[in-house]
Amino acid sequence: MSPTRIIIDCDPGVDDAAAILMALGSPELDVLGVTTVAGNVTLSATLTNACRIVGLARRPDVPVMAGARAPLLRDQIFGKYAEIGAFPAHLVGMGRVEPAAENAVRFIARMAWAAARTQSPLTICAIGPLTNIALALRLHPEVARGIRRIVCMGGTFQAPGHASRWAEFNMLADPHAAAIVFDSGVPLVLFPLDVTTKALFTERHVAAFRASGSEGGRALANLLTEYDRSDPARYGRLGGPLHDAMTVAWLLRPGLFTGRPARVEVQLTGPANGQTFADFAAPSPRVAVMTGVDEPGYIALVSERIAAAGRAGHRGPGAGTQKGKAE
Amino acid sequence: MTASLPVIFDCDPGIDDSIALLGAFVAPELDIRAILTVCGNQPLERTLRNALQICELAGRDGIPVHPGAPRPLCREPIHGLFHGETGLGAARLPEPQKRPEPTGAVEALIDHLGRAVREGGPRITLCCLGPLTNLALALRIAPDIAGGIERVVMMGGAFHAPGNRSLTSEFNMLADPHAAAVVFAAGLPMTVLGLDATHQVILRPEHVARFVGASGRISAAMAGLMASWDRNDPKRYGTRGGPLHDPLVTAFLLRPDLFETRPARIFVETESPLCLGQTVADWYGQSGAPANADIVLKVDAEGVIDLYLGLLTQYEMRGAA
Repeated sequence: MSPTRIIIDCDPGVDDAAAILMALGSPELDVLGVTTVAGNVTLSATLTNACRIVGLARRPDVPVMAGARAPLLRDQIFGKYAEIGAFPAHLVGMGRVEPAAENAVRFIARMAWAAARTQSPLTICAIGPLTNIALALRLHPEVARGIRRIVCMGGTFQAPGHASRWAEFNMLADPHAAAIVFDSGVPLVLFPLDVTTKALFTERHVAAFRASGSEGGRALANLLTEYDRSDPARYGRLGGPLHDAMTVAWLLRPGLFTGRPARVEVQLTGPANGQTFADFAAPSPRVAVMTGVDEPGYIALVSERIAAAGRAGHRGPGAGTQKGKAE
Repeated sequence: MTASLPVIFDCDPGIDDSIALLGAFVAPELDIRAILTVCGNQPLERTLRNALQICELAGRDGIPVHPGAPRPLCREPIHGLFHGETGLGAARLPEPQKRPEPTGAVEALIDHLGRAVREGGPRITLCCLGPLTNLALALRIAPDIAGGIERVVMMGGAFHAPGNRSLTSEFNMLADPHAAAVVFAAGLPMTVLGLDATHQVILRPEHVARFVGASGRISAAMAGLMASWDRNDPKRYGTRGGPLHDPLVTAFLLRPDLFETRPARIFVETESPLCLGQTVADWYGQSGAPANADIVLKVDAEGVIDLYLGLLTQYEMRGAA
């Protein structure tokens, strides 16, 4: 079977880093490009971080591009770990690939349009605010036809929000972009906080990343140790989620997850801005809202693929040898 | 005289867009680099086709015409009410031979303006006659292109005047209020011709007859375009006839001395069902935000009409293409 062609649209971010490393360590996936958007941190930091992660995975053949610097309409917000900015070199090393010149939105639109023409639609793994994807969809109606599905981390239904009382960060950071994507007619697989917080990585798992022998695994372990995501008061037990990695895990082993079809919309204004709401009785649901996960199976898959990133499946000559740019 | 002002038209023809273009085509001062089309007065396929036909009518087949946004950013599309079935009134123009460019309008805008930034000018004047969707998308995708814009001269909004398409809102603003919000927030040099300005230039039936009479080889098309010009609403316009909206943009480029402007901060409503698309001007700095536009408050109407009559006469002198 030929590998699934994907674009990873992201705002790294620690759990974005895990998702990118997993994808680059998976021969079932052909990563056409990594596109970055302002979100967890500023655009220049998400770009630098993506370049470092792709460098760690020794995949200079994968283009990394910068997209939207700000949300469509609302004032910009950043994530809880905004002060991280670009990942410090003592955690992830200095190696990096150079960013490609093409604008990320134009790249997404160009690839999707070409995919529409050849009737070989591609998959987008959307793990940041949806600004880039919304802009690409608005450029040409053909873009939607070139996207087979968008596998998206975002939203929350029963679980409380983390960016506001009611909203998940990717939705709150650009609700108008989310509305455009939800309304686009492209099938969506959505991983809200309800499911992403059901699988928690503990110190034991982080130690296994470190011991895996891959540069990517070591870097991810460093990041997870430095920015501890454990929150027993919130999750009821030890360990922290890797939200974004679920999207890549679903592409590899959808059987690990359960979900329900729904129509999903997002609140655009007011105190519940960014809140997602689902109609599970809608006549033509376009969104598979993920609700359940096989936690041990998921953690094992993430661990296996993180260990493979930078060791197997790389097609080009080793990256990570170029000196990082001055920050 | 050499063309000294590089411009790009972003439009949704549209009868008055067409007249604005036909005026610009014969103005030697303007170097028209491209025409962008957008969903507005008519759906995109119509505005694109109409732009191609108007270029061919004028013998300006060499200007690249790019298809732009097929719908507004967030809201559902609305279309104009006064442009006839094709968008060109009663004008019946031949099937266009000219092809649209393969590059989309947003990409073309980014490329033209990006080049101006990289090569250090000359900066380009954007003439926006329709909803601002194309420019908003370009600014969000590539914000650095702002440095390649000399000025945005746009038709849109209503400040002291009431709205036209809704109680509060002018059509271009109502058709894509979110795009307008993006553009007004971008900090670009802007001249805004709202209904306060365009309702000062009412073409009465006798003006229409003079326009058609002056237009030489395109007079039949001009007669078709202007066949339903008379809104027959003297209570609103003070006389028979109809307002000359988009052509004021071309007129401003050529004769800024015919216009009086006042700086203000413009905001646009993007949420209220009643006031969606309403433009609000802060004349006195109450908002604390700096002015972002020169709003045209007074127009020398006879001067504009004479300017157009002079431009249209060029079609007489040039004879058949």
